Amino acid sequence: MVHLSSFLQKQYHGGYVVIRLALAGHKQANRPFYRIVAAFNKRARDGKYIEQLGTYDPLPNIYNEKLVSFNYDRIKYWVGCGAHTTKPVAKLLGLAGFFPLHPMTVTEAERRRAQAAQTQASEAKDNTEEL
Amino acid sequence: MAAVRAARRLFRSFSQVKNVQQNKRILLRCSVRTFCTEHEDNALSHNAKPQFTDPAVQDILSRITGLELEKVFRPIKQELKLPEYKLMTDEQLNQERFIVVREPSGTLRKASWEERDRLIQVYFPKEGRKLTPHPIFTEENMKMVFSQDRHEDVLDLCLVQFEPDSSDYIRVHAATYEDLEKHGKYDLLRSTRHFGGMAWYLLNARRVDGLIVDMLKRELLQDAVSLVSLFHMVHPHSESAQESALQQATGTDLLKIYAQKESQRSGYIELALQALEPAAAEESTAT
Repeated sequence: MVHLSSFLQKQYHGGYVVIRLALAGHKQANRPFYRIVAAFNKRARDGKYIEQLGTYDPLPNIYNEKLVSFNYDRIKYWVGCGAHTTKPVAKLLGLAGFFPLHPMTVTEAERRRAQAAQTQASEAKDNTEEL
Repeated sequence: MAAVRAARRLFRSFSQVKNVQQNKRILLRCSVRTFCTEHEDNALSHNAKPQFTDPAVQDILSRITGLELEKVFRPIKQELKLPEYKLMTDEQLNQERFIVVREPSGTLRKASWEERDRLIQVYFPKEGRKLTPHPIFTEENMKMVFSQDRHEDVLDLCLVQFEPDSSDYIRVHAATYEDLEKHGKYDLLRSTRHFGGMAWYLLNARRVDGLIVDMLKRELLQDAVSLVSLFHMVHPHSESAQESALQQATGTDLLKIYAQKESQRSGYIELALQALEPAAAEESTAT
């Protein structure tokens, strides 16, 4: 059972702490922004969380970068307390170098590369057919 | 009922509630900037070159900067703002951030200095800094601004925008000081915080003649003397330094030795000294 230091929170039966992405709710359509958050499993995705551990911006900026921030110290604490991480958070942490690289990251990259090669090949075929 | 239980638990455990550090963020992009402590250690030893931050050097530079009260307290246009109170934790004041970059090719590397500065500004915005630097820092704009004699504003903006050891900071400062020296407009910076920096730059480039001439023109004899003594501190192997050490010269004699040995405009300096000598003699008889 997870032992927590704060007593202002509801006691859940069989619940556990997760580290997951929560939508930050800036009320702008088509502009997502995620907070990396330690929350109870049963809570709503955007509901009350225990602590914010970082941010993730899925849209690339003018320098073509996706910015992510982590509070490594507190993440270590929560993982030490027995928190689970969701798949996207695990992938991000793998990309950051904090966790080992997630196998799905590699698989997805390979699939995307295969897809790009396929579309390129079909485009080349279309161009030669047109000519 | 549950609320009462929770409240009781809370009261009992008040002292145990830990301080959740909401403000500490560590970035994905990493680099570790080491502070230049080695330089300070070297400066303490007798034979090493004196650094800008030495107390003796700073003392002399602050003396020659002068204190024109009218210029210092001149009214500056400022927006009226209510005072803001910010509580900063120690971590926020600290500059150590871990920033890494994952390239599309898969390599994980530390972020470069420019990326670091940019991202620290994104996550911990410093007042007055912009994400993209002010257009004033391009070559043509700087030339235009120098022709309008607004070197101070450029240097103030540069101080706010860039880190002291970034390449842009050094470039802007070098360009400003070069321009000032070319036109001899030393008086623009006289009572500002930038004067010491300019003097230091010229000293290291060994081109203090213009500055000494300017000081003598404005009859600032003491300042000229301290500047020459600073020059001897910084370049102890030059001829004038060795001469003055041999003769244990002080005051105007230092200036004369410097004029003979080092400067290219020795004639002008000697003339000016002769003009000021009666004034100096009066001072010494009065004291």
